[in-house]
Amino acid sequence: MTEKDTVEANMDQMFEVWEKGQQAFFKAQTEAMETFAKSFEGIKVEEGYPNWDSFIKSWVPDWDPNIFANKTGEFAGGFEATHNAFLAMLEPANWTQYAPEQLRVILQSIADGPKFADMATPQHEAAATWRESLDYSKAATDMGKVMQEAWIRTLGRFNEKYTVDDLKSANPEGAMNEWLKAANHELLETQRSHQFMDAQKRMIRASTEIKARQKETAEAWSAMYQMPTRTEVDDLTKTVHELRRELRTLKREVASLRGGN
Amino acid sequence: MPEKRSPEKEQNPPQISDQALLEAQEAWSLAWQYMLKTGEQMVKSNNFLGRIKDKDVEIAETPADVVFEIDKVRLFRYRPLAEVRKDIPPMIICYGLFGRQTMIDLQEDRSLVRNLLMAGIDLYVVDWGNPTRADQYLNFDDYVERYLGSCVEYLYEANDKKPVNLFGICEGGTFAAMLAAFRPELFAGLALAITPIDFHGDQENFWRGEGFLNSWVGNLSKDDVDLLIDTHGMLPGEMTGAVFSALTPIASMTKYNIGLARMEGNEAMMLNFLRMEKWIADRPDHPGEAARQWLNDLYRENLLVKGQFMLCGEKLDLSNITCPVLNIFAEQDHIIPVSCSKAMGNLLSDDQYEEIGFPGGHVGVFVSRKAQGVVAGGVVSWLEKRLDPLPDKKQKNEAGVKKKKSKKQIQG
Repeated sequence: MTEKDTVEANMDQMFEVWEKGQQAFFKAQTEAMETFAKSFEGIKVEEGYPNWDSFIKSWVPDWDPNIFANKTGEFAGGFEATHNAFLAMLEPANWTQYAPEQLRVILQSIADGPKFADMATPQHEAAATWRESLDYSKAATDMGKVMQEAWIRTLGRFNEKYTVDDLKSANPEGAMNEWLKAANHELLETQRSHQFMDAQKRMIRASTEIKARQKETAEAWSAMYQMPTRTEVDDLTKTVHELRRELRTLKREVASLRGGN
Repeated sequence: MPEKRSPEKEQNPPQISDQALLEAQEAWSLAWQYMLKTGEQMVKSNNFLGRIKDKDVEIAETPADVVFEIDKVRLFRYRPLAEVRKDIPPMIICYGLFGRQTMIDLQEDRSLVRNLLMAGIDLYVVDWGNPTRADQYLNFDDYVERYLGSCVEYLYEANDKKPVNLFGICEGGTFAAMLAAFRPELFAGLALAITPIDFHGDQENFWRGEGFLNSWVGNLSKDDVDLLIDTHGMLPGEMTGAVFSALTPIASMTKYNIGLARMEGNEAMMLNFLRMEKWIADRPDHPGEAARQWLNDLYRENLLVKGQFMLCGEKLDLSNITCPVLNIFAEQDHIIPVSCSKAMGNLLSDDQYEEIGFPGGHVGVFVSRKAQGVVAGGVVSWLEKRLDPLPDKKQKNEAGVKKKKSKKQIQG
């Protein structure tokens, strides 16, 4: 092979490599774009603004996204309102009540996240604590709703049983007794309902989880100040309890053997 | 969407007739008079409350002496109020852990203890003490076999190694039935009052307000119960108190307002009320492991009537009880449904078992005036009837005696 042939062969090889590289690059780009496009499937561009608007309002319901349109020329006011709205999003007390389920999912995912051996992960405990207090708030609200409905039914029942004509009978005590009877009936019926039972179960579970978390916090404090923790005392109590049980069994066996002799 | 007010309506509001106005005024006047009257009643009750001190509200005054102790548990022997009958074996009363045994001696004229003492019964009572978190690992093995068993063994020894009577109340009745099945040789008789045996009962036929506790616990999962016990260590007295209050919602909500007002400062009524309040307020925490078994094994799984409840490593069979059994239940019991108590009869033979249905509520069995003769009188006549010992149960069973078909029921 002449020197010229060798150079041409090298050039061909280089072009081939470049061409294949280009093909691979474009193929990768195409796949990336396809994947990117797939991730936006179902989202219509024309619904982008309403979706965004709905999203923002679910977190900060008082904010008006049209503030600039409504206050033409008052940019300072518009910017201030927007600024305050975004600050409000950073203040949990402002929006936890409007988006508890979304927040719960986020908090649970943080709490369930992987933990590193050599790095403190206080966010796990914080997220779990926060999720538990959200659960308690929701359980208390649900329980409140169940009881509110019971009282509304009580009022309805009382109105059916006791009319203005009854009041003319000059017996307010009768009215009071009728009210108590109606309330007792409705409350007992409510207590038997699955709705009440489930709401109360969730209340108990949520409040117990908070209590358990408080115990963890107290234990961390006790450990920090070189004091015995609740768990350590409980462990010791259990050991003593089991030892006493063994002692009693042994005493009985000894007594039995002595009696046998 | 709120209805918009029409300007016409605002200009021409509906006309109210003079007659309607008069009636409305009369109604308001009546309501005010009633409120004033209620206020006056409340003032009288408040005046009484202002005069009385907590130390003046005395319960469980019948004198008794400690005769035996094990850990925090003490066995008291009541001092006799009449000549002690030697022909009737001594009796131990065993209350549960959800309340204090002081219920049976709330006041002089409403005291099961005094009534039994007046009948000449040599009477003892178990005081479980004040369980704390240090007692959280105590379970049914401890309470039934170790503590109650030791108290009964003490009395058995003191009674010249002759069988004794045991009277179990509420959860204490369940303890007593378990011990009578586990150590039948110690017992001359077993009386139970408002005692759950079948923890599910006849749920389809519960009346309104009956069996709430059974449904409530049944609705909890095993994990819920475990989380509760693991977290608190104990079953807090405040929590059980709140559940019991919820069983009678309106009575609980109105006792400190309408209830107090209606007493109008009547000394006897107010003192009765305050004694009951004192008893309710003194609700101990229930040791955790025993509570776990009570809620999971008994209330949820109903293992006792299935013959699967484990005591000291053995399956407990209540039909092993050999002594005569008297079962007292309250027909309007909102805590322990009648069917849960009466289930005891299904496990015993006809001639071994009797029952008294008291027409009242759970606590009324002990504190109502009506109950004083029915319960104590019923127990005493049952004890007297049993002076002739039963033929050996084992022999009877071998002779083919059928287990209960009909029960003799003494109506209260």
